[in-house]
Amino acid sequence: MRGLGELESAIMERMWAYRRPATVRDVLEDLRRDREIAYTTVMTVMDKLFKKGLLKRQPMGKAYVYETVGSKEAYTAQLMRETLASSGNQAATLVHFLERLTPEEARALEAALRVFPVRDRP
Amino acid sequence: MVVPLILTLYGVAAAVLLPRLLARGTWADRAPRLAITVWLASCVSCVAAVVLAGLAVAVPASMVGHGLAHLFEVCAAMLADVTAMSSMDARLALLVSAALTVRLAYCAAVVLLRARRERRQHADMLALLGRHDGDLGAVVLTYDEPVAYCLPGRRGTTVITTGALRALSRPEAAAVLAHERAHLRGRHHLPLAATDAMARAFPRVPLFDRARSEVARLVELLADDVAARRHPRLHLAAALVRLATGRPPAFALGAGGGTAITRLRRLLAPESPLSRHERWAGMAVVAALLAGPAAVAAWPGVSAFLAQHCLEVHDCVDTGLFH
Repeated sequence: MRGLGELESAIMERMWAYRRPATVRDVLEDLRRDREIAYTTVMTVMDKLFKKGLLKRQPMGKAYVYETVGSKEAYTAQLMRETLASSGNQAATLVHFLERLTPEEARALEAALRVFPVRDRP
Repeated sequence: MVVPLILTLYGVAAAVLLPRLLARGTWADRAPRLAITVWLASCVSCVAAVVLAGLAVAVPASMVGHGLAHLFEVCAAMLADVTAMSSMDARLALLVSAALTVRLAYCAAVVLLRARRERRQHADMLALLGRHDGDLGAVVLTYDEPVAYCLPGRRGTTVITTGALRALSRPEAAAVLAHERAHLRGRHHLPLAATDAMARAFPRVPLFDRARSEVARLVELLADDVAARRHPRLHLAAALVRLATGRPPAFALGAGGGTAITRLRRLLAPESPLSRHERWAGMAVVAALLAGPAAVAAWPGVSAFLAQHCLEVHDCVDTGLFH
C-alpha cells in the first residue's frame, strides 16, 4: 500500500508540473525515465485518482486524456484552511503549535518578548 | 441506601466544585503532566461515582456479604429474569447506570472514529502535497502562512509550512518541531480525545467542560517543557512570537489565545517545578479520586462479608472447635 501511495504522489506531481492534459501513455513514459513500471499499473492509479476527484478526464479515441482538477496550491490552501478551522473543536485530530490569536494578543506577545530576553539569554 | 446517596452527592459535588478547586493557584502550570492526570482522574471519579451509585441501589449489600460466588449467582439471576429484581427503584437505578455507561462509550467511539477518519484523509492529502524533509524530520508544505502542527496516530507526522521556515531561524524551527514531536511521542491526542468524549457525552457539566479546555492548554505547556530540555527556551519563545505575529489578519480572527501568553511567560521566566512533597500529594489525590468511589461502593459488601466471617469464627469459638 505504501508503494501505491508513493506512486499516486509521483503521478500527481507530474500532472501538476505539466500544466496541460496528458494521457496514461504520456505519464508512463515520463515515469519510465527513473523506474520500471507497467502500463496497467499507471492506468489503475490514474483511474483511482480520477475516482478520488483529483483528476478529471475526457475520452479521446480509445483512451482518456487526464487533467488535474485544481492546482497544487489550491489543494494546499484548502488543506490548511481545514487544518486551521479544526483547531478549536476537534482537538483530537490535530495538535497545533499555536492557536489563532487576535492582533492585540499577538502584539502583547511581541511586547512580552521584547521585555524578557535580556535576563534569560543563554 | 446510604452508600448510593453518598456516591450521588459526591458525583454532583465533583461535577460542580472540583473544576473550581483544581483551577486554583499555579500548581498546574508548574506540573502540567501531573495536572493532566489529576483532571482525567477527576472526570473518571465523577462518572464512576454516579454509575456505582446506581449499581449500589440495585445490588443490596446483604447479597454481596455472602461472598463472591453468591454475588455472581445474584447477578446471573438478575440478568436471566429482570422481573425478579427486588423493586422498581433497583431497576430504575440500574437503567441509569447502564444508560450513562452506554452514552459515554458511544461518544468515545464517535470521537475516536471521526478523528481517525479525518487523520487518514489528512495524511492522504499530505502525501500528495507535502515533501518529506529528512533533515528536519518533518513534512514540508509549500504555503505562505506560517503554520506548524502534528498529525497524531500510529505513523505520527509533524508538518511545517515554507512560510514558517521562512519566518523562523533554523534552531527556532528545530525547537518548534521538537514541541510537535513531544505531542506525538507523549500521545497527547489521547487525553484530548478522552476529555472531548466526556464533554460531548455529558454537555454543560462544569467539570467536563473545564477538563477539556484545561487539558488542551496543559498539553501545550507539557510539550514546551519537553522541547525545552533539548532546545534553548529562548528559541521556543521567539518561535512562538514569530508564528503568532506573522499571520495576516484573516487568520488572526477567532478564538482567543490566552495560552500563548502563559506559554511565553513560562518559557522566559520558568517557575520552579513542584517539590517532591507536592508531587506525592498530587499522586495521593489521583489515587483517592480513582479509588474513592469504588471503596465507598464496596464498603457495605466488605463490612458485611467481614461481619459474617467474624460471626462464623465467633460461632466456632463458642462451639468449642478452637479449644
